[in-house]
Amino acid sequence: MTRLFEAIVYGFSSSGILFMVSLALSIGYGLMRVVNMEAMLYYSFGAYITYTIVHATGSFVLGAIAGTLLGALLGLLVETQLLRRVYHREMMFSMVVTYAVFLIGIGVIQFIWGLEPKPVQAPIDGMLSFLGISVPIYRVIIIAIALVAYALIQLLINKTITGKALRAGIENRDNVVALGININKIFTTTFVVASAFAGLGGALNAPIIMVGPYMGFDMLLLSFITVILGGLGSIKGTAVSALILGQVISVGGMIWSPLAAVGPFVVMIIVILFRPTGLFGVKGKAFGFDD
Amino acid sequence: MELSTNKGPVREKSGRSIDFGFLGPLVMVAVIMGARYLFPDKLAFFTEASIYAIYVMGNNILMGYLGYVSFGQPFYLSTGAYAAAIYFAYLGNSPIVAILLAVAVGLALSAVFGPIFMRLKGNYYTLVNAALCAIGLFTYEKLLIGVTNGNDGLWFRARIAKMPFLDVRLTSNLFLMVCVILALLLFLYRWMDKSALGAVFRATKINSRKAKFLGYNPYAVRIIGFTLATVLSTIAGALFAINYGFVNPNLGENSRSIEVLIATLLGGVGSVYGPVFGAFGFLGIKDIVSRFMSRWEFAVGIITILVLFFFSKGIWGFIRLIGKGVTEKLFRKKTAGSIGKEK
Repeated sequence: MTRLFEAIVYGFSSSGILFMVSLALSIGYGLMRVVNMEAMLYYSFGAYITYTIVHATGSFVLGAIAGTLLGALLGLLVETQLLRRVYHREMMFSMVVTYAVFLIGIGVIQFIWGLEPKPVQAPIDGMLSFLGISVPIYRVIIIAIALVAYALIQLLINKTITGKALRAGIENRDNVVALGININKIFTTTFVVASAFAGLGGALNAPIIMVGPYMGFDMLLLSFITVILGGLGSIKGTAVSALILGQVISVGGMIWSPLAAVGPFVVMIIVILFRPTGLFGVKGKAFGFDD
Repeated sequence: MELSTNKGPVREKSGRSIDFGFLGPLVMVAVIMGARYLFPDKLAFFTEASIYAIYVMGNNILMGYLGYVSFGQPFYLSTGAYAAAIYFAYLGNSPIVAILLAVAVGLALSAVFGPIFMRLKGNYYTLVNAALCAIGLFTYEKLLIGVTNGNDGLWFRARIAKMPFLDVRLTSNLFLMVCVILALLLFLYRWMDKSALGAVFRATKINSRKAKFLGYNPYAVRIIGFTLATVLSTIAGALFAINYGFVNPNLGENSRSIEVLIATLLGGVGSVYGPVFGAFGFLGIKDIVSRFMSRWEFAVGIITILVLFFFSKGIWGFIRLIGKGVTEKLFRKKTAGSIGKEK
């Protein structure tokens, strides 16, 4: 029984990272209808810069901050230089283009950091014991940070003018443009915030996994599943589905270890086949062709 | 408008001049074989690229004719390869049976997945395939480890038997067999392109409601296309298995799904001979680039971006553009059969 509770806590920490990494993807095609596969680069680069900084200075906090900033910077660069060029193209075009950018990024990572996976030392080694359950403090910190991230992004979307315009844009982009709101600028802002969170997610995940050039690939499908399960353009949906998937990976993996690897994909196929709008998706706005 | 000029997707047969287009597949394969004798030390490359061309042809049906982009083509390829590999390792030793088995497995796969997947919208299709590919990789690598030996790969080169006329254990003979199969498939491919089927494929891609209006069932048409694509992929997989003499899960990795898409784009999407150019062009570039760098994601990414933004008609489109001026006669007959080809 204690093992189950521990698995649940581990699952929540995976959910936290999944949520932060999936935000960029969720906002990317929630608002702009662009499938930005390169979102995983912010995650990978965030993790790598954390590795470098931790090695150079020994401070993980500094590394995480650098990861966040690098994620934001890359997001800004990609959004203004590349995504702008593919908004008006069909979705499949953007899919292949951003995937290519993702591959280029992986190549850059290989040039800079090499092929071998890099270990990152967790900043806190202690265990937190509570009612016989003991989990690493670091995992609990991740959960806390993810909760803060969720609160921040909800504040941004629900309490600010930018967020209101953003939500209107998700519903109907053309109307927002017709009101004289510069949706591109709003999107850039939101996208940069989202990619900063992806960078932070990479930084936080660095001590848990080995930092390798292909870490983005593993995350790419997972975050796709998160976004689709949650529903198009719904931050809440992304959070809830991250929670579900975290538990599928962690508790499922505890019950039968192969479930940790294939469980999410099975969930994805079931969702796509039976509820394409996802859990919180706007009706009639399934991810697909606009026909 | 007169009705006679508007016969829908069926191509009019003029009957006056002889269509030499049927020689295309022969010329194509002859050029490949000629090139192989020009560069005798590159035999492995030519065999691999010829097989890859079959794989790309399969993807081209999805991408070029039906408008579906799949991020899971390696799954179908590796399933064909494993069908052949398991047959060789445990059951028998005839290459012909292995290829036929791959065809059967391809048909079975399409029977299971076709009706489900072809209901999906394009981008869902892309992702469902990516998920399927991940599940397939996991199945071959971990779940069936007792049968497939997991990452060590399944080795069976010694068990491949002589065929009646051709000993495919010799690489040069295998190349001949691949060429014959490629020529055969290209004939069928060209026939498909010219027939009503090819036209309906394109019609469903451009406007499936109008295709429906013409009396075709887009759903059924897509399933046919999916089946053809899958079977071509599994055939290519079986040939890869015979060529390498072993199969490991590498073949079905998710990260490789982009390669076949790029090869299709590079050759020219939605054309008959594009896939052949795409396969040779892509593997050629890969061959050259991999001399400079061990992992070559970077180059693949750059090539993709260049092709997508500046070279969207592909090699075959480029050749046709040049050829148009030089030998207009060959390309004059652009009738209803080529609807939507110029995309």
